[in-house]
Formats: sequence, C-alpha cells, structure tokens
Amino acid sequence: MSETDEILEVSGLSVDYVLAQADVRAVDDVSFTLSRGEFLGIVGESGCGKSTLLFAVAQLLAPPAHLAAGTVTFKGTNLVGLTDAQLSAIRWCDLSVVMQSAMNALNPVKSIGAQFKDALKAHGKPSKEEIAARSAEVMRMVGIDPVHLNSYPHQLSGGMRQRSMIAMAMLFTPDLIIMDEPTSALDVVAQRALMVQIKELQQTYGFAVIFVTHDMSLISHFSDRLMVMYAGQVDELGATRAIFDRPLHPYTQGLLEAFPSIHGPRVPLKGIPGNPPDLAMVPTGCRFHPRCPHALERCTVTAPDLYPVDGDLVRCLRRKDGSLPDDPGARVAKTGA
Amino acid sequence: MAMPVSGVPAEAPAAQLPAGHALARVGHAIRSNRKATAGTVLLVIFILVALFPGVIAHHSPTADAYPPHLGPSAAHPLGTNAYGQDLFAQVVWGTRNVLIIAFVVGLATTGIAVLIGVAAAYLGGGWDGALGVLTDVLLVIPLFPLLIVIAAYAHGEGTIVLIMAITLTSWSYTARQLRSQALTLRNRDFLVAARVRGERNLYVIVMEVIPTMTSLIVASFLTNALYAVLLSSSLQFIGLGDPNTVSWGTTLYWAENNAALQTGEPLWAIAPGACIALLGAAFALLNYAFDELGNPALRPVRRNKRVRNG
Amino acid sequence: MTESRGADLLRAEHLTRHFKIGGMLSRRTLHAVDDVSFSIGEREIVALAGESGSGKSTIARVLARVYKPTSGEAYFEGKPLSAIRSRRDGLRYSSLVPMVFQDPFASINPVFRVQHGVLRILKLHRPELSAKQRLEEAARVFGVVGLSTDMLGRFPYELSGGQRQRVGFAQALAMRPKLILADEPVSMLDVSIRIGLLNLMAKLRDEEGVSILYITHDIASARYVADRLIVMYAGQIAESGPIEDVLTTPKHPYTQLLLSAVPDPMAPLSQVSDHGEPPRVVDPAPGCRFRWRCPLAIDTCSAVTPALAELEPGHEVACHIAQTGAEVRAFAS
Repeated sequence: MSETDEILEVSGLSVDYVLAQADVRAVDDVSFTLSRGEFLGIVGESGCGKSTLLFAVAQLLAPPAHLAAGTVTFKGTNLVGLTDAQLSAIRWCDLSVVMQSAMNALNPVKSIGAQFKDALKAHGKPSKEEIAARSAEVMRMVGIDPVHLNSYPHQLSGGMRQRSMIAMAMLFTPDLIIMDEPTSALDVVAQRALMVQIKELQQTYGFAVIFVTHDMSLISHFSDRLMVMYAGQVDELGATRAIFDRPLHPYTQGLLEAFPSIHGPRVPLKGIPGNPPDLAMVPTGCRFHPRCPHALERCTVTAPDLYPVDGDLVRCLRRKDGSLPDDPGARVAKTGA
Repeated sequence: MAMPVSGVPAEAPAAQLPAGHALARVGHAIRSNRKATAGTVLLVIFILVALFPGVIAHHSPTADAYPPHLGPSAAHPLGTNAYGQDLFAQVVWGTRNVLIIAFVVGLATTGIAVLIGVAAAYLGGGWDGALGVLTDVLLVIPLFPLLIVIAAYAHGEGTIVLIMAITLTSWSYTARQLRSQALTLRNRDFLVAARVRGERNLYVIVMEVIPTMTSLIVASFLTNALYAVLLSSSLQFIGLGDPNTVSWGTTLYWAENNAALQTGEPLWAIAPGACIALLGAAFALLNYAFDELGNPALRPVRRNKRVRNG
Repeated sequence: MTESRGADLLRAEHLTRHFKIGGMLSRRTLHAVDDVSFSIGEREIVALAGESGSGKSTIARVLARVYKPTSGEAYFEGKPLSAIRSRRDGLRYSSLVPMVFQDPFASINPVFRVQHGVLRILKLHRPELSAKQRLEEAARVFGVVGLSTDMLGRFPYELSGGQRQRVGFAQALAMRPKLILADEPVSMLDVSIRIGLLNLMAKLRDEEGVSILYITHDIASARYVADRLIVMYAGQIAESGPIEDVLTTPKHPYTQLLLSAVPDPMAPLSQVSDHGEPPRVVDPAPGCRFRWRCPLAIDTCSAVTPALAELEPGHEVACHIAQTGAEVRAFAS
C-alpha cells in the first residue's frame, strides 16, 4: 500500500466520557488505516465503542465525551485540534457522515430538496440551476425519482429515507463516507437493497467507506476489511473473507456462531455467555477473559496487544503463541439448500 | 421500527445516580452540581429567615418607633425609612409573605396544570378538546391587565386574592407544556403494556405517566414559583396588594411613594429589590440544575485534560 | 416434524382491521389487516413474518385486545374475543394471552424498579397471593428467565437490553399464560444476545408448556425457534406451513424474495433486484397486492385477489400461479 493510496490514518485514538464519579474510557488506543476506495466494516456489540469511535473520527464528539489522545490524519491533515472553520471546509466535501436513523438526522419540517440546498450552499455559492441539477443527480444515483425532492421525510418510506441520506452524503462526491448502522431500522429486503446500492456507488465513484454495524453477516459480502471491537478495543482486524473463513479471536468465533442460519442443519446455538463489561470497571488482563472459553491464568493478568497472526491482527495471547486448542480451520461454505 | 436515539452515542454511560433512597439520590445530586448547591443554599437561607424572623431581626417591622432617615448602623443594619421603621426588620419579616406566595402559587399552578394537562393528553378525544378549549381561553387572555382588574376589584383583601389571581392566570401555560410531553409518552410501550396487563386509566395516569414526567413537573413548579415572586412583587409595587402587609413588594411601594432613591435613602428600594432578585436567582439556579441532572449532555465538562497529540 | 393438531388454542377467522386515515373529512381507510385466518396450537411457536407495514404488529394488538377487529373473529379456547365484556373476563383473557414488546428501552417504566411490573401483574391477576407469596413468585419467574433475584431491586437503566427483554418475558410468565404474543422481542437486541432470548422462548415452550406467537422480520431467527411459519404481505397471508417445508420449498414469490434477501455469510451473494418498497395499503383494488413487485405476475393477478389454498398437507399459499401447480421460481435464493 503506497503512501498516496492511504487517505485515513487513525493512530492511538482514545475517547473518554467525563462523568461525575470518574472518567470512563469508551475507546482505548485504536489505530487503523484506510486506503482510497476501501470498504472497512467495524463490528461489535452495543457498548463496544464503535459509534464513539466513529464520532471521534468525524470530530463530532460532544461533552461529556472528549478525545483524550491520538490523531486522525485525513489526506495528510490531522483533524484533531482543527478549528470549526477549518473542519467545515473538509466536512461534506471530502468527508461525510450517514447517521443511524434518518428520521433523526433529517429535519422533519423541511423538504428533502431544501436540506440538499442547505448543504450545497454551505460550501460555495451555487446558482439555483446548479442546486437543482446536482440534487436531482444524486437522487438518481441512489435510485429515487427526483420528484421526491419536494417530499418531507415522513412521507418517504424508511428505505427511501436512508437512501436520501446517502444521496445527501454524496452531494460533493467525498473521498470518505462514514456510516453508522444506516440499515438498522430497515427490513431485510430494504436492507439488502441498500447494501447493494452502497457497494455499487462505491465502485462507481471510488469513495472509501467506514461502515459500523452490530450485524456481522450483513457486511460479510460487502466489506474489504473487517475490524472487530470489544470493550473499547480492537480485538481483530483483517480481510473480511479471511476472518469469516477462519476467525482467530475467541470473541469473533463466538460472534460468528451466534447467527442462526436459514441454510444447513438446525443446530442449537449458545451465543456468548455473560455480558460485555462495564467500561468503568474493565476486567484485568484481557478484557474478554471472563467470557472466553479458552482463558488461562495469564489471560487475567497480562493485557494483550494486537499481534500479527496469519495476515490478521489479533488481540489474544494464546493465539499469538499458537496455543489455542481448537483451531477452527476452514469453515465449510454452505451452498444454498 | 423505533431505534433508541439521542445525540450521544449508545455507549454513553447512563446518568449513574446511586440507587437507593430517593432523598439520598437528591442529596447527592445537589452536592455534585454547583448550580444546585448555590440555589439550594440561597433558598434554604430564605426559608430559615421566613421561619424564624424574630430571631434574626429584633425590631418590629411595622412600628414606626425609631428615628427616621437613619443610615445603616449596628442597631439598624439597613437604617430606617421616612416613617421611622426599621428596614432590616421589614425585609426580614417580608420574606415570609413572599415565600408563602411563591410556594402556594407554585404548587397550586403546577397541581392544576398536571391534572388538566396530563388528563387531556391521556384521555384524548372529546376530553382533550374540552379541556383544551378551557386552557386556551385562559392562555390568550392578557395576563397583566387581567391581574390588575382582579386585584383592583379585590383591593385590600390582600395576599389570598393575590395568590388566587396569579394561580388562575398562570396554570394554562404549564398545562399546555405538560400536555405536550404527556402526548409524546402516550404511545410508549410501557403504557401500552400497563393497559394490556389490565390497569385502569386513572392508575395509569397517576402511577405510570406522572412519575416519568417528574423533571418537567419540578421545573414547572420552580418556574411558576419564580414568576409568582416577580408578579406578586410587581402588583404590590403598583399598589394593588394590601399596602399594610409586610412584604418586599409593599416596601418597594412605600419606597416609591416617598421617592426614596431621590431623597437619599436608596437602601429602602435597593434592599427589597435585591432580595427579590436573589430569591428569583435561587429558583432559576435550581431550574438549571434540574435540567443538567436530567440531561447529562448539558453538564459542563471540566477541561482539565489537554489533548495529547501522539 | 409432524405437528399434532389437537384442539386449537387460538383460532383467527377472517380477521380484518382497518384504520381511517387523513383528517376528519377524509374517507380513506388503511387496510392494515385483511381477511387473515390462522390457528395456533398448544406448545407451539408460530412465527409471523413480514416487512414493516405487513400487518403483523396489528394482528398482535388485535389479539391483545388493544384494537377491536373491523370484522372477523378470533377464538381463544373456543370462546370468541368479542364475548369478553366485563372487566373480570378481560383481566382473565389478558393473563392467559399477555404481550411482550419490541423495545427494551421503552417497554419498562424507567422510574420504578424492575420488580414493579411483575408485582403489579401478580396483584391484578392472582389476588389470592399474599405479599410475601408475590415476592416469591416474582423471584421464581425471574429465575425461569435466567435473571438473578438481586436484579429484582434494580432500576431499568442498570440492566442491559437483553436483561430488560427477559424482564418482559418474566412479566408475561407471572400471569401463567397459555399463549405469549411476542412482538419482535429480539429485533432491537444485538445479534449475539438474541440467541439467549430465542433459547429462552424455546425453553418456555418445552418446559412451561406455553405457546408463542413470534412476530419478526428476521426469517433466520424464526427458523431457529418456530414450528410453523406464516408469511404476511400487505395485510394478507401469503404463505403458511411447517417451517422447514416453507423454507425449503417456498411457493409464494414473496417468500422467495424474503429468503433471498436474508444475509448469510457462508452462502454466495444472491442477486436481488428488488428495491424493497412495501406497500401502504390504502383503499386497495382487488388483485394480488404483490403483483407490482412480482416478476411472474399475469392478468389474473391484477383482477382477482388470490385466496389461501392448501397445496400440501399444512402448507397453504395465496398465489394464482402456485395454485395452478406450476413451479414458482421468482427469486433465486
């Protein structure tokens, strides 16, 4: 990966929530890079820090959260510490964000077209014709008839709302679009359609995507690389197919086994026993050890780093020295029944 | 399909009030927030003054037995007015009247508003319409002229009329607010769950809806108390209260009558005015503090950590 | 797995529920549920699946007596719901057929401890218990759903989403129900937490003898717990039958569409060209409501509303083409 290919480098990012009792570290020392046009999926359960990480990268943290350490280098510039004026030059033009629920991100009393116009006028002085043309163009990009520019958010279906959010994010064809669970409020058919749409747009216009979700199976066919987060830390980072075929971290293995499938035999599943830890009181040593079926004494004492194993990065002591008992090997790909 | 949403990401730890007795939680909340502490301290001081005025001020507030036009001294901390009355005693004894008005109006206004507003929202339909008409009529009537008319007719009847007049004209605004909030709660799952498990309407309104609106109800009480202080003092100032009651507003009335500021007795006007301001500030501080307690995003972040660039 | 169809616990016949929409002068009606008939037996989990707007939640609320049906009738243990008049009968019915809600954050009152709901239920529905017995029973049902007894005194904000949903099931269990209406109980939980709740539902069926109407839009989770599957579209039943039959040989094009859209990391990505726009059914014309999205639609589909017909034992489909006996292959899965 050459230097010019890399558009985002996050290094040592930590985010704290300042609370009355004590500070809680929601994101702990996260580092990763993103190349031009790459699709990175970030997965984890609720409370693992993935949304906070996203907010931090987009410089959208608000009190009581604040960025405690680390840098976010976007196209050569460190976003941390930039003023609002400097950030707004980058926002939406080079980097845009798609939020979880369109009903909350869109202004309910303004038409879609009016909101597009606001965004366009915030970054330049386009004429009325230019605004109309660009708005119609992005709507067509996501497969919505431009006549809906006159609609209000509540008049559109859930799927169309989410797609208009993506259209809005594409107004300036940015280099990076950050998405926070944009499909969670959608049904399965709309979800599939949206994912395919996002992937097509990405391949046509070449922007990079960071996609946060709690549903691993959703992005299994779409992301290039996958980052698994747990209790504020990165537990596994690697190529998507490699992780699905051979998950290396016990947490990732547990996650993959918690998905009932419609193909193949019906088997009872266990999920991962217990609950994610309270970030105010993380376990000593490896944060996953209370729920890990392979935890040993040293896992309760030594906090593992991210170790390179077989092309992935894994935060597991036993994986690093190859002492995990059940090597999952290659998972059998199930064909349609 | 609804998703849990707020401006803060899902990982934001919830407001960790220690579980336990409600009073203990309130106590902890007050101590942990500077605005709450300041407001509470001020309010407590005023309450103590109102409860034990004789202990603090040794002179009678109404007896014009002292030499007039005295400046501040050890015997008369705020001096005396043109009638030879001790100003300090007047201000101290006046606290009781003001606080009674503030609390009674606050409670009555909020009580009526809760009943009417929440019932209208929960029962909906015809009830909502009828109660809404009642609320709106009172909402639209200009407040101050109405108060003047009422108080002028009952001139001399004093504090009770003042309280009733202010309550009558104040409850409608709060009722509208509470109705709006109750409307947002009406279709929340836990209320549907309560009905589905067989609870009666009255039970749901009193035991399930109102407890979830406590912060808005408390805020309404504080706001209404604050406005009662200001309104009653204003009415007394223009002479519509009973000029013989000992109260900050009536003291101001007499100060104005005697052109106190121009004749070199500024304390006569400044002292009661400052008290009104301080009591108002106490209620306002408590109001801000309750807001912050309810919504962690509003709390000030102690910027004692500088961002370290790696 | 063959199911023993003894006496039906619940039988819905031609259930219909319309809502008037628009202002006071509007005459438009939303057909949320139209002519739905199905049954639920004892010790059975029936999954009711469909997209949003399919009417599945409305059916649950009609069965919970939140709404009255516009027409049609539901029978519980042979007795019609419309015969429930007195408060006592109503209480009795709601204790036998309680509901579990979707949103773990909104379905419990946040100002009370989590035991509040269970204790209120015991007070209302089992008045013969003393206060001490109520506490014991609350502890018992908490144990059945996998919560420790010290959670009784906690507040909802101290519990995770999964734990709150278990509280919802505990509340339902406290009524000693025969049928639990579970309205998307796991949709708002993380995928790794869902399995625990799904296992709990299976346990309730096997050990407590409770039937469950499991409403969901996630076919994979339906397959994991349910014995039978009913697929709904636009307020009507498209297909229903034993779950393995419906999933291995789906006969309705909509069922095939749903199956093809389910994400499965281990299977290659199926090509779905549908944009996923479920209809809002306002004053519908006759004809199949899926015809605009169906690649196989013919003239009859626009003219005649297909009726539900049994094509194989227990497996019913409402599709003209399937009913001719032709093989339906609308969407590859």
